[in-house]
Amino acid sequence: MSFEVAVLLLGWGTLVGLDLTSVMQSMIARPIVAGAIAGAILGDLPSGLRIGVMFELLQYDILPLGASRYPEYGPATVAATATAHLLSGALGLGLGAVVGLFTGLLGGVSMNAVRRLNTNAVHRAAPALEAGDTQALMRLHVASIGRDAVRALLVTGSGLVLATGTHALPGQTIHVRGAVLLAAAATGAVIAAGTSGTVRLIGRGSAIGWFAAGLLGGVAGAWLR
Amino acid sequence: MVRCRVAGRGGGRVAPVKVNSSPALGRALLRLLTVQGSWNYERMQGVGFGVAEEPLLRDLPRQAYPGAVARSAHFFNAHPYLCGLAVGAAARAEHDGTTPDQVDRLRTALCGPLGSVGDQLVWAGWLPFNSGLALVLVALGFGAWAIGGFLVLYNIGHLVLRWWALQAGWASGLQVASALRHPALLRAGALVRPAMALALGAALPLAAGYLSAPFAPWARIVVVGVAAAGLLLLRTGRVALNGLRFGLVTVAVALLVAWLWR
Repeated sequence: MSFEVAVLLLGWGTLVGLDLTSVMQSMIARPIVAGAIAGAILGDLPSGLRIGVMFELLQYDILPLGASRYPEYGPATVAATATAHLLSGALGLGLGAVVGLFTGLLGGVSMNAVRRLNTNAVHRAAPALEAGDTQALMRLHVASIGRDAVRALLVTGSGLVLATGTHALPGQTIHVRGAVLLAAAATGAVIAAGTSGTVRLIGRGSAIGWFAAGLLGGVAGAWLR
Repeated sequence: MVRCRVAGRGGGRVAPVKVNSSPALGRALLRLLTVQGSWNYERMQGVGFGVAEEPLLRDLPRQAYPGAVARSAHFFNAHPYLCGLAVGAAARAEHDGTTPDQVDRLRTALCGPLGSVGDQLVWAGWLPFNSGLALVLVALGFGAWAIGGFLVLYNIGHLVLRWWALQAGWASGLQVASALRHPALLRAGALVRPAMALALGAALPLAAGYLSAPFAPWARIVVVGVAAAGLLLLRTGRVALNGLRFGLVTVAVALLVAWLWR
């Protein structure tokens, strides 16, 4: 991975991290988008799509309702795609999942930390806000977005460092069959998470019939392929 | 056009006056795109709400402006795409000379309904529908087209909803509850749920097939075994487990086995 590509990935991961809650919410933070674009940056769209699908399924386990806390899979998918590209094959997929899961955990923790910093900043600015000071309001808001940008940059950077670290592992650390086992286990885990989240989302109401119909169509489609 | 009170706050006669609101609404919409930028555990979306509402308050009399700006940044939390409804309604109420208490009550009363409607319509409807559709298309080999289609289709709905919400709130003021009963909103809510269920139903087996395709038969058995065990653990809820924790435990165990199996 060249320096230019690393910088592009860092920039993309930062945008993705900002999109999750702070700016736009246009869903470039969805893993399927974050992974595909990261793959395109690396010149490896298939790896980006594959990792994107994996983490998109994990995302189904999350409903961002109210003030709930959740992992952040956008920058995580960028780092996982970089890992999959650097290592290629089953080892790339398996270790990509490992890197992505750790980065997702870090992303969730860092979001909570930034929200606490924002809370402290609001405390400090409370007298100015209560006086209707527009400049204080704008400063507070822009500084908070800046904080989130730095957070997203650091999370993506940490993920990319992990990705580079896995690339530096000696070849004998994991045998091919072990790599396939790791990739298969990670795939099973994301399918479980995706299915569990979907079943919870569908519930027991009238939508269950539509879900069953879709399931039949999907099984037929997968079998025909 | 907004209607302003011609007499003092609280008891004046309401008269229609022309206000060039389009540029202010445009600025408010742009700022609404960052409504969660300063999300915090005290005022939640309150600061972002205030930032978005501020362009709509600039036409207020000089003595009323600071108080309205201060109120606009109080606690608020709702679905981000529907925040505009409350932003527009609160700004309109300020222009109508509504009392500060009534403006605060309006904001508080809107948090729950806007959160609930938005969560059902977007987080549990429009978003998973589009995501499911994208997964189906990627699994069927449409690659980058599927991603482009997802972004375009999702954001048409997203931006239309944000713009409609802001305009409806600005037009309705204290009568904003009627906007939540808009026929198009009710119809969208009724249609999006079955569509989402259908798309996700189709997406799961296709995505599972797409991810498992490169594996040897023995590895596919591992995939099925881990997926079944995970689903059982995640659905029974007997252990404090979510997708991330299950994923981390699974890859940790698999890494250990892979390292030993050299």
